[in-house]
Amino acid sequence: MKPGETNITITLSKVFKRFDEVTALEDINVVFEAGTLTTLLGPSGCGKTTLLRIVSGLETVSGGEILFGNENVTDLSATRRDVGMVFQSYALFPHMTVEQNVGYGLGVLKTPQEKIKEQVKVVLDMVNLAGYQARYPDELSGGQQQRVAVARALILEPKVLLFDEPLSNIDSKLRRSMREEIRHLQKSTGITSIYVTHDQSEALAVSDEVVVMKDGRILQKGPPRSLYHRPESAFVANFIGESNVVEALLVNGTDGNRVELGGIELALPDSMHIPAKPGMVKLSLRPEVIHIEAKSDDKDPDCLAGIVTESAYMGPVIEYSVKTAIGDLFTRGPAYETQHLKGEQVRVRVRPDEIIVIPASSE
Amino acid sequence: MSTTAKVVSESFKPALIIPWVTIGIIAYFCLPWLALEYGLTDATFDEFVDALAWRKNGATIVVPFFFLMFLIAPRLVRSGIQCGWLYTCLSAFFILATFAYFITENLSMGLGTAVILLAFSALFAIGIAEIGFQRGDRFIAGSVIFVILLVCVFIFFPIWTIFQTLLYNSDGSFAPFQFYQIVTAFGVGRVILNTLLLAMSVGAATTLFGLIFALYSTRATSPLRYVIRVFYILPIITPPFVVGMALILLFGRAGMINDGLMFLFGPEGILLQGAFTRSGYIYGFWGIFLAQTLSLTPIAYMVLNGMLATINPAMEEAALTMRAGRWETLRDVTLPLLRPGIANAFLLCMISSAADFGNPLVLGGDYDVLSTEIYFSIAGAQLDFAKASALGVLLLVLSLSVFVIQKKWVGQKSYVTVTGVQTAGNVIPLPGRLQKILSAFVLVWLLLVGILYFSIFLGGFVKQWGADYTLTIAHHKELWLGGFASGAWPSFINSLIFAFIAAPITALIGILIAYIISRKKFFGKGIIDFGTVLIFAIPGTVTGVAYILAFNTPPVELTGTAAILIITMAIRAMPVGIRGGMSALSQISESLEEASVLQRAGSLKTIRSVLIPLIRSTIVSSTAYSFIRSMTTVSAVIFLATAGTNVATTYILSRVESGDTGIAVAYGSILILTMLLFTLAVEVITGRSRVEKQVKTI
Ligand SMILES: Nc1ncnc2c1ncn2[C@@H]1O[C@H](COP(=O)(O)OP(=O)(O)O)[C@@H](O)[C@H]1O
Ligand SMILES: [Mg+2]
Repeated sequence: MKPGETNITITLSKVFKRFDEVTALEDINVVFEAGTLTTLLGPSGCGKTTLLRIVSGLETVSGGEILFGNENVTDLSATRRDVGMVFQSYALFPHMTVEQNVGYGLGVLKTPQEKIKEQVKVVLDMVNLAGYQARYPDELSGGQQQRVAVARALILEPKVLLFDEPLSNIDSKLRRSMREEIRHLQKSTGITSIYVTHDQSEALAVSDEVVVMKDGRILQKGPPRSLYHRPESAFVANFIGESNVVEALLVNGTDGNRVELGGIELALPDSMHIPAKPGMVKLSLRPEVIHIEAKSDDKDPDCLAGIVTESAYMGPVIEYSVKTAIGDLFTRGPAYETQHLKGEQVRVRVRPDEIIVIPASSE
Repeated sequence: MSTTAKVVSESFKPALIIPWVTIGIIAYFCLPWLALEYGLTDATFDEFVDALAWRKNGATIVVPFFFLMFLIAPRLVRSGIQCGWLYTCLSAFFILATFAYFITENLSMGLGTAVILLAFSALFAIGIAEIGFQRGDRFIAGSVIFVILLVCVFIFFPIWTIFQTLLYNSDGSFAPFQFYQIVTAFGVGRVILNTLLLAMSVGAATTLFGLIFALYSTRATSPLRYVIRVFYILPIITPPFVVGMALILLFGRAGMINDGLMFLFGPEGILLQGAFTRSGYIYGFWGIFLAQTLSLTPIAYMVLNGMLATINPAMEEAALTMRAGRWETLRDVTLPLLRPGIANAFLLCMISSAADFGNPLVLGGDYDVLSTEIYFSIAGAQLDFAKASALGVLLLVLSLSVFVIQKKWVGQKSYVTVTGVQTAGNVIPLPGRLQKILSAFVLVWLLLVGILYFSIFLGGFVKQWGADYTLTIAHHKELWLGGFASGAWPSFINSLIFAFIAAPITALIGILIAYIISRKKFFGKGIIDFGTVLIFAIPGTVTGVAYILAFNTPPVELTGTAAILIITMAIRAMPVGIRGGMSALSQISESLEEASVLQRAGSLKTIRSVLIPLIRSTIVSSTAYSFIRSMTTVSAVIFLATAGTNVATTYILSRVESGDTGIAVAYGSILILTMLLFTLAVEVITGRSRVEKQVKTI
């Protein structure tokens, strides 16, 4: 298993899926690039698992096509698709040892026993579980079970690796290191992988690309950075990181673009990508572009007036909610500054160069 | 078909069909094409040879050629799909043509034909799998076809013949009003009313008592509650009419109670002379009511106990912390939560009461209910099949509608309710005064049950119950010591053999049906669903009538054979396997099977390596309980057993009818004892394995 050997692109075109009444997926067109790890991110019930299962062949499509490389696999059953999958519940066979679990697929393919033993050992080494061959799943911790599941998915050197919320049953301390391991394994094997999660920080941390889904549709696809800095909809802006979505008037003046909000005007940098026409637009203001300062007498034309409605000390930072003319804004301030207390009148400054203008056509 | 019809399975090899083709051709040359007059085992060699296909009719020579065409077919077509279509069409054509041939010629199929048809069904399954059914999974396709065939032949077809008997006169002319004429010709209204009244009273009584026992066994602090556990075992091992017999021993005309009352109040009694004369009060409504209540309360108890176990103790604790007393908690929290369980128990016991045949038969007297009326219209000389069918339809409709209500009410759970889950501790004890009253009640009940069973065992050892209580082993001697060809042995051995064959078959098919129902989706699944509902709801007497009507004439003539009894036992015990399979599968996450499939395993391998090891104990226990059920069943087999195929229960009933109560209870007690030992042995052998405990944690 060397990088690049098993690389294939996965293409879904016009895929949709109905369960009786419910439409789980609608008009899915997406390409998972060869050798990359792509996460499917979205709230619970948006169709991530369904999409993953359709790629695996465990679920049939109601319409559309699935290509592995150039091969149309739409009608191929899961047995013949050559995919490995790590289930949310791990789905380890409880009556088999770790060795039997991991070697199961090789047994199906009638591999000789010694060969199975050998290969199981190699894969268990890869997931740092050397020496656990004889254990039963119920004698392992959650994290170890997870590694067994990964080993089992890897051993047949599949064309595609699928993960369905693999870390959701692991306590939060371990989660961070597990996701690094998965990322490392994926990189070293180079197998095209799809990874389902509803945790945006997990998605940003492990993936080459993130696909954001909502109500059975794909809203946006791109590398973590572009999703964070250029969300194409209020939903994505809110779902990836935190965001305050506000209304503003976009004006295209002689000296460039500016926005008017809550009685102040902010000039936008010339270099900024503006995917909307002048008029009322939605802006996404990340907490890190909003700063609050103690109120002083001299009026600053670039600042909004506000009242602190919530103020919570969180250790390294203080979280604030501030009521302003453009709505409630959520932001953070460093803990070494004096804490603004609830009810305090403050000035709110917005850094214009990191304002995000949301495309007009989005929801 | 839910899946698109475009799968080309690369693994398709013509070699796959060779086993089936071989089986078919062997059956053609070596097994009888036509049914043998005296059954396979009793036929002479000449009769046997005469029944072979190639001897009987030259036209049947097309059969082997048909098989050969399957071998040639792959060479004639370009793709697997085309081959699949060819197989599908060829086999479908052959199956239909065979049926048409037997029906138009008015001939009965022999074993060979059955095997040949089975082989063609397998080829049909291979064909449709190739076209894309079940995404090319031949094992599942085959299982689905097999189950659909099974349901059609042994459920739908017999029930249809009941309707057919009603729609046509005996001379074959269409008689749309026959049903109406039959049911208005005698007091059918009274019979229906009797059945309903009995069913409702028994339903209400058993639910109330079941509730008492369930509350008592989970909430009482007295050690008496452990004794209630015998409830799990008694109804399973007791043939349904035995409680009725025991009641006769106690309360019958010559029963103990009558004797006692005579002794006290009779014409020569020691108190109030002449105040009492011997009476047959136990025969009729109250007798059946008592017998059914005694034998069905355990079922209500199991349903409610299972329900109580699912109630989170925290809810009751919450009520207590809000200063509700234990009474209020019971009234305002526990009982309302139990409401679905109560409805379920009531409906289930109602169906069982309406379907019960043994108790009304031995205790009915003048009180006629549907199930016994059905029996009496074809037992003896009457042979009024139209009347039996009409009553059968009424009983079927009654029990089916109650079953459907029950299924709607409790949804999918109806499959698993009767498994009886043990409760965890930490529940709120009963109010003190209530516990005292209930303790007394439970004690009286258990005492009565104890006396009943004791009297059965004693009854086998006294000369003439009621007249001469001298102890004797004469009854047992007659039954067991007259050699294997007399007394109880022939029927006992028949029972053992038939049940032994039926049990594993029915358990496996039942679990297979459960698997298909709970795991697979496909076009035509409704047929299996509906068939399953019928299997659960159809009363034994209706099965009996339907089978007599359906399998007494060509093309399938089975009456008088051992096969029909084995099939009947298997169908009657099938709910055991289905229920067991359903509850076992509901505990196994589907992702285990999916994980196996993604490891390139086909469904057969997945079932063998993943599912079967995990449900092994369910298979064993389902087989065991199917065996017991087959040993103790009576309602359907009584219609089908003949002198040569008598089974234990029908033999006992025939002795009851001829007045040999001593013999009957002697046999009955041995039957109960055998079943008890068998059950205990199974419990010991299966135990709770390591694997099963793991499944619980998945
Ligand atoms: N087997 C199924 N039958 C019916 N509806 C289903 C089935 N599987 C998923 N759904 C529905 O499809 C939608 C998407 O589900 P899923 O893919 O599991 O979402 P996610 O994994 O994003 O939480 C949900 O509305 C769910 O109820
Ligand atoms: Mg999911």
